[in-house]
Amino acid sequence: MNDLYRAPEPITFELNGKTVTRSVPAATPLLDLLREDGQCTSVRPGCRIGRCGVCNVLMDGQAMPACLIMAWQLPGRRVETVEGLAGDPDFLKVRQALAEESALQCGYCTPGFALSLVSGLRERRNGNPVDLGEAIAGNLCRCTGYGGLKRAVEKHLSPCPSMSTGAGNSNPIPGEPE
Amino acid sequence: MASDTPGRMVTLGADAPDGGGPSPELYRRIEGRLSYPTDLLDIPGLLQGAILRSEYAHARLLRVDASRARDMPGVHAVVTADDVPGLNRFGIVVRDQPVFCEDRVRYEGDAIAAVAVDTRAQARAALAAVEVAYEPLSLVTDPMTAEQQVPLHEGGNLLAQETFHRGDPEQAFAACAVVVEHDYRTPRQMHAFMETEGGIAIPDDAGGVHFRVGCQSGHRDAEQLADILALAPGQVTVEAMATGGAFGGKDELTVQPAAGILALKTGCPVMIHLDRFESCRAGMKRHPVTARMTTGCDADGRLLAHRVEAVLDTGAYASLGPAVLENFLDHASAPLYRIGAYAVSGRLVYTNNGVCGAFRGFGGNQATFAVESQLDALARELGLCPRELRRINLRSVDEPGSRHQPVRWTAPPVQVLRKAQASSLWSPETVPRGRWLTGTGMAMGAQGNGLGDGLPDAGGGRISLSREGRVRVEFGFSDYGQNIGEAITHSVCAVLGCQGSDVEVMLGHSRGPDSGPTSASRSSVLVHGVLAGMLPRWMEAVRCQAAELTGYPGDDLAHGPGGVFHQGRQVLSYRELAEHGRREAMVADARQDFPVAPGQDHPVGRYLQLQIATVARVMVDRLTGRVRVTDLHHITAAGRVIYPPGYLGQIEGAAVMGLGMTLTEDMPAEEGRLRRDNLDQYLIPTFHDAPTQRVDVLDGTPEDDPFPVRGVGELGIEAVAPAITAAIEAATGVRIRTLPVDPGVLLTAIHVRETAS
Repeated sequence: MNDLYRAPEPITFELNGKTVTRSVPAATPLLDLLREDGQCTSVRPGCRIGRCGVCNVLMDGQAMPACLIMAWQLPGRRVETVEGLAGDPDFLKVRQALAEESALQCGYCTPGFALSLVSGLRERRNGNPVDLGEAIAGNLCRCTGYGGLKRAVEKHLSPCPSMSTGAGNSNPIPGEPE
Repeated sequence: MASDTPGRMVTLGADAPDGGGPSPELYRRIEGRLSYPTDLLDIPGLLQGAILRSEYAHARLLRVDASRARDMPGVHAVVTADDVPGLNRFGIVVRDQPVFCEDRVRYEGDAIAAVAVDTRAQARAALAAVEVAYEPLSLVTDPMTAEQQVPLHEGGNLLAQETFHRGDPEQAFAACAVVVEHDYRTPRQMHAFMETEGGIAIPDDAGGVHFRVGCQSGHRDAEQLADILALAPGQVTVEAMATGGAFGGKDELTVQPAAGILALKTGCPVMIHLDRFESCRAGMKRHPVTARMTTGCDADGRLLAHRVEAVLDTGAYASLGPAVLENFLDHASAPLYRIGAYAVSGRLVYTNNGVCGAFRGFGGNQATFAVESQLDALARELGLCPRELRRINLRSVDEPGSRHQPVRWTAPPVQVLRKAQASSLWSPETVPRGRWLTGTGMAMGAQGNGLGDGLPDAGGGRISLSREGRVRVEFGFSDYGQNIGEAITHSVCAVLGCQGSDVEVMLGHSRGPDSGPTSASRSSVLVHGVLAGMLPRWMEAVRCQAAELTGYPGDDLAHGPGGVFHQGRQVLSYRELAEHGRREAMVADARQDFPVAPGQDHPVGRYLQLQIATVARVMVDRLTGRVRVTDLHHITAAGRVIYPPGYLGQIEGAAVMGLGMTLTEDMPAEEGRLRRDNLDQYLIPTFHDAPTQRVDVLDGTPEDDPFPVRGVGELGIEAVAPAITAAIEAATGVRIRTLPVDPGVLLTAIHVRETAS
């Protein structure tokens, strides 16, 4: 790698409502930047290739894997993690739904799921009909088999009972014609 | 004979999980406030460790020179085999795996050296600067011929072989009206826990090391680590705190030896956290099995003869391979069914194909896949309904097990079958729907609890009152997501009449009580036994203290929410008791051997048996050969339900893991290279792959059963694969016997059938 990219430079962005400046090489993944000082350890590495959703953050409200966001992309952006959502109404709703249905076991992947769901609920508030099953289609969980997640979404987070949630729905392969 | 009624039928998850409301522990996890070992990044002076893995699957190691690496930026230490203070070997059953290789590497994940550096970014360059010279050796890649290839270990490539016999199968085959023979293959499945192997080793002032690493047995790990580090047993402590998934894949030591050696060398805390690439390459996998099964019955469908010849690929080192072989053979002898005569044999061989060890199901589900497929094949030959064939051959509760051992069944197996037969998934019947073919199938499975054949199996616990006045219950188990803590809390609350907030459960500290490994679906059974042993004594001790403090006679006092009660009124809270009473008098502990059958000093087969029937409904795409499982309906008989969300989650989670093994998951090895290196190639099920599941429980055990609580961690994976392949057969007429199901193979077979008809 060229030294130009290795030299730390100040990066300023908004993290959980506060403006922060970090001096890091431009190519530092947001995942490492958030974890380095042990502050946002809810953002955890799972695959480091954007496949598992464990390291999801909200960037300008959208759920995105922090392993694929580089420091140079951050200036002017708003980043949220579950550490900063304690009073957020959508997060509280998601938290309650996940807890009521025991939609987690080891819990390592759970903050990532929660952020995908929060992002989906916010979209809905903006008037977009969001299928929350689609919202968490990019999150992997190895413990639960997704049963509790399905119940959480269907029983507690669906705008109306007819809303499709993906798992077990009638279209055999979502996104493909029958 | 005991009463056949195992109590009521419960559908889990249909209603609110239970009255108590979610535990605070769940909120901590959702909010990201629970720290996993690899989250402990704010420890002062923390160094990052990294491991150099072999470039070859099999080679002589000519030279390892770390001198240049020691001068790289940020490097605090580089360690190799020369730096292992004690025994340079580990392994739960056979200590045959080197911490760092000395003169030979046997798989691509073999460790050669490790570095401790300031930052992760420096690790890669430091590892690259370690100079290693190899002389490649010929590879052992085919388990079927491994025994004739170059030996990977001193005793040759046959690590273990065993045969279970009953009667004279050859004579019995001669009397069969129908005999079916098929070959079965199951994949090298990866655990794919979301938290890859990792944790931290912290040196103490007295020359010892404290470990906080994702693991399954703090005590056993501490023993092995003391030998490796040449420390006295008391100098190594292991805190098996929250682990982000394990499923057997963290049963063996992972990063602990390298982290411990680096911590001693540098005097600093060292974290090692494998990335997914390294985890795929170096981590444990499930044993791939190749098995030929021959099974015969008479004209009425009664099973007369059964022969199994299997080869299990354990990879480069033994780990728990010999125990997996034993459990495979146990399940291959068809524990649910009466078979007149059998010869069930298996060979466990070393190869250069990664390394295999414990994985949920532990060889059993591989065997059940083949056994249940055989039954369907016989039914088809006889023109008999597969359920009817099973009904004819299922054991009754008062019969001995397949190895003639006494068995405690949770319910009569035929009850489980009947419930499966009544599943709503059987209708509507198979209907072609445009490009989709639909079908329903079922399979049954048995699952034993406990470590099994002759392995020492005991565990203990302790109960006390904390300084803050909470009921502290300690066990040595680690919590890697199975929520054993919740089950313990619920059990304690049920006896004390207190609330969850009155109880604190402390798990997995090697200084605490030794409960044995968190494996083999054994924890719940031991927790129940140990609590039954210690709770009454503890309650008595607390009442004595309360009597001293209040002046009421101890016999008039009772436990209740938050403290001790006299005539329905709380007279002392636990907090007041902790403050004013003698806490050291309010301690009780108990230790229990895992239940073995009466009269068996050396256990043979499984004494405590559970059962499951899984009904699967699938849709097969005629254009692509892809299979989608739309529904799974499980009927379980696994003792009393202590904590409904936990029970449900274990069955559902295990079933989807089994679905992955059936449809997509495999880690193929080519020339000793594992061909999938991350989760974009190794596909575990997503939310959209997960079927609608229903779990119906035959709650309870027969009245005289002294072991009403059983462990359900593995049961859900047992019958999924054969249920799905039976459903595929119902949909397409094609029976798949090699897992995962290859859509190309299935598609071709469908087309061949359609063209022929």
